[in-house]
Amino acid sequence: MNNHYDAIVIGGGHNGLVAAAYLARAGKKTLVLEKRYLVGGASVTEEVFPGFKFTVFSYVVSLFRPEIIRELNLPAHGLTILPLESTLTPTLDGRDCLYRDGDHYRTLRDIARFSRRDADTYDEYARNMYFMAKAVRYILNIIPPDPTTFHPKDMMGLIDMARHFLGLNQEQLYILAKLMTMSAADFVEQWFESEPLKATLSASGIIGTFLGPRSPGTAYVLLHHYMGEIDGAYRAWGFHKGGTGGLAQTLARAAEAQGAEIRCNTGVSKVLVKNGRTTGVVLDNGDEITAPLVLSSLDPKQTFLNLVEPGQLPDDLVGAVRRFQTFGSSGKVNLALDRLPELACRPGAGRHLAGAVSMSPDLETIERAYDDAKYGNFSKRPYVDVIIPSMIDPDMAPPGKHVMSCFVQYAPYKLADGPWTDEKREAFGDAVVDVLESAFPDIKDVILHRQVLTPVDVERMTGITEGNIFHGELNLSQLFFLRPAAGYAKYRTPIKGYYQCGSGTHPGGGIMGAPGRLGALEALKDAG
Amino acid sequence: MTEHYDIIVIGGGHNGLVAAATLAQAGKRVLVVERRDTLGGAAATEEIFPGYRVDTGATDAALFQDEIIRKLDLTRHGLAFRENPALLFAPQPDGRALTIWRDEARTVADIARFSERDAARWPAFRRQVERMTGLLRGMLLLAPPDLAGLRGGDVMGWAPLALRLRRLGGDDMMELFRLLPMAAQAYLDEWFESDALKGALGGSAVVGATLGPRSAGTNLTFFYQNLGGLLNHRFVVGGIGQLSAALAGAARAAGATIRTGAGVAQILIGDGLDAAAVGVRLDSGEEIRATTVLSNADPRHTLFDLVGPQQLEPEVMRHVRNIMFRGSTARLNLVLSGLPGFAGLADNAQLGGRIRLAPSLDAIERAYDAAKYGRFSEKPYLEMYLPTLHEPAAGGHILTVNAQFAPYKLREGDWTTQGQVFADTVLDTLATVAPGIREQIVHCQIVTPLDLERVYGLAEGSIHHGQMGLEQMLVMRPIPGWSRYETPVRNLYLCGAGAHPGGGVTGAPGYNAARAVLSRVRPTF
Repeated sequence: MNNHYDAIVIGGGHNGLVAAAYLARAGKKTLVLEKRYLVGGASVTEEVFPGFKFTVFSYVVSLFRPEIIRELNLPAHGLTILPLESTLTPTLDGRDCLYRDGDHYRTLRDIARFSRRDADTYDEYARNMYFMAKAVRYILNIIPPDPTTFHPKDMMGLIDMARHFLGLNQEQLYILAKLMTMSAADFVEQWFESEPLKATLSASGIIGTFLGPRSPGTAYVLLHHYMGEIDGAYRAWGFHKGGTGGLAQTLARAAEAQGAEIRCNTGVSKVLVKNGRTTGVVLDNGDEITAPLVLSSLDPKQTFLNLVEPGQLPDDLVGAVRRFQTFGSSGKVNLALDRLPELACRPGAGRHLAGAVSMSPDLETIERAYDDAKYGNFSKRPYVDVIIPSMIDPDMAPPGKHVMSCFVQYAPYKLADGPWTDEKREAFGDAVVDVLESAFPDIKDVILHRQVLTPVDVERMTGITEGNIFHGELNLSQLFFLRPAAGYAKYRTPIKGYYQCGSGTHPGGGIMGAPGRLGALEALKDAG
Repeated sequence: MTEHYDIIVIGGGHNGLVAAATLAQAGKRVLVVERRDTLGGAAATEEIFPGYRVDTGATDAALFQDEIIRKLDLTRHGLAFRENPALLFAPQPDGRALTIWRDEARTVADIARFSERDAARWPAFRRQVERMTGLLRGMLLLAPPDLAGLRGGDVMGWAPLALRLRRLGGDDMMELFRLLPMAAQAYLDEWFESDALKGALGGSAVVGATLGPRSAGTNLTFFYQNLGGLLNHRFVVGGIGQLSAALAGAARAAGATIRTGAGVAQILIGDGLDAAAVGVRLDSGEEIRATTVLSNADPRHTLFDLVGPQQLEPEVMRHVRNIMFRGSTARLNLVLSGLPGFAGLADNAQLGGRIRLAPSLDAIERAYDAAKYGRFSEKPYLEMYLPTLHEPAAGGHILTVNAQFAPYKLREGDWTTQGQVFADTVLDTLATVAPGIREQIVHCQIVTPLDLERVYGLAEGSIHHGQMGLEQMLVMRPIPGWSRYETPVRNLYLCGAGAHPGGGVTGAPGYNAARAVLSRVRPTF
């Protein structure tokens, strides 16, 4: 086997694959090393139970960057995103629900059932968020400038950014300032009063973070989730044909089409460093593969504390990475169903089951779920975001059967009463199913199999530290030029030839691909 | 009566008095109108029990700006400070107590009883806090630039501060960017392991706010509260009311008129095309004219009640309506027959500074959790002060207790009936570290958030005239677009804690507002 390449990408998650495709496209002989038997990292589809395919971890695609789709010509490699058409939010007793879908006026009428005032302001809110997402989207394509240097490139970057944001009108600037600092709940309460609407909107602000809707800073996470765009439509969440693993397969094909090579079942144990420069990697089996360029798509703790000797790095970086907050807080429950379950508030099968069902009846319920987690317990009544992928893509389950994907907040990585055990995991799974039962009364009768994943499982399976789906909290102290650490936000590391390209870098997590693309482009810039 | 003044200041709180004195010194004819009979607002010392003069609001003037003391020559008007060797005494439920002293070696030795590792880190922590607060201190006396305008003149004042930031080097600047928006808990966890130490420090992060130490941005409050030095305090001889008295003295000496018992019912608006303040109407119906009006009241009361929404654009109204007040502090004023027998007390000198009951950050967080759902804490976080240790009173001891969290808006019941229930809760909590305190009580007064609003005009009981979260600081304070003390009403300025930099006895909003008036008003009148 050939053991010399121009570039090695550690980790075959979506960012690693994007990076590899860009490196190969630039003519670099590129190798992707993936520890597991399949590519995708946290965006994989696996047949967990015979005949039932699950998007095991991540489940929707909304943030994926359109320029990557364009530049890598992903549609030619099989990119197929099926829209999630609606969001249904059952009330606490499950008897009623708020239903929002593509039919704008029907959505407004449904909101008005809960509050006329909310229906009146809904458009204004949507318009504002649209502008905000559009304005902030600008940062997704730039390398964060360092505000503390006088380097001309940084100064230009700062001036460009100032010019961009000062182009917003006054009210928009104020909303932006509020989005950067407020809690999601306070932010949406500026517009709305009815519980299901406030809760379901705020829920986007807590996904993947160890914060509650009343925690300041969650409005930014809300915005982060609004930045998704598919075919130019904001806040359109989609499902990739074949699950998020389907997207990873598409990316792998695109990378291979450019000439990249992908090796699965090949874990990396160390990055080789000689005289401050990387020379390649050592595999788990002891083999060495050499390359002048090595990109890590793993999280910052793996990238800096495990793959290299901390002694090879400056103390300030090691300290900063150790402090980098990576609390895992999300769980996942995958259910194989004998038949389609029925909603109490909308009996029968129908397109309403092809969208998301957001188990966010009111703000207090979500906030209390967070209260449980912050003291080290999994939520007794968690927030659950449900989709039924087999309603969108029938290939996911055997005919007549269904799969259900439940994303859950909160399941803290560290429990106060000692490590996660099988009993605790099942108890957590039971709590999730109980929540589902409040909306789907027959759910317990239709479950054939159940897979429960805690952050510890996510860490064990994907390697992401603490199972944090964003590779590190998305808060102001860990964003932009501070992600993952001050002075190291431009994808470079103190080791020449060694680069970062994972979600722990700007602009952060979600199936976005931006860190992979920007990391690869920076590496290519230096390599000439 | 056809009185005419250059300036009317509504409200004789410490900021109103600072503004009045500064403007009078600049030669303006100034009138201060105060609704109550006592001056000082929430910085007053009042005889609420016979023979006992109590600081009814703030107790400490560590944040008060030295530049104002110098400019107004407050020392000559009777202002004197007292400092105590103990900064903070933190009794623990397990019977021990942690004391932070002005003397660092003594503090390190005391922390070592809780954690050797924390003790070793203390000096470096103190240095970092003082470096960061040193940077921030300069912001207090600067008006924030308007976010949307970013006019050259607005940012000019900030140039020296920016230069100072730059001189620090990139590392400290980046660290400041990282630390300000953090949750205090995340910051303190980076440094320390001892719950007792972190709890004692963490109290500073939630002052006056309905936020817990896990809330992002509380680290900014932590730094703000320590702008006068880490845990530093500076008590006013004779009580905090003497600071207000000195300010009133300085104002009068410069020619200002101060009327108490004169509440303002309305700010008079002229007949011109745009809204412009031309004076005030008192509760008595009396009208007084002035060229410029400054309001020391909170922004919502000023604009909604005193001006009236009919004078405001809908956009402005929405911003004002959206100001988050969220008062969460109740006050218990106690007179005790003797010194309370605190757990772990070895020497009465330990009680001379602040006394805090917060055994851990989680204890504060749990106390906050209740407030999120509109209940008061079952085990509130307490910050106390024993002024009679320095200035003995008629035989007994005064203990003032600030208790959090007591949300203004209760989900069940209201403060007219719940005040006594909460007072009992506070006393029960206090008894866990000071057994026998109930038997020592001679007088007891509970001041609920509703009382703070009714008596002191603090909207929703917010001691800072609006919560000091990240989203309501700097360019966003009091409302976006109006961070430079002016208001949408011409010739009406805000000079209270609702304006930049915010609450606490700093004098900064009053001083900055006065300077804004002096720099904008044409010199011809």
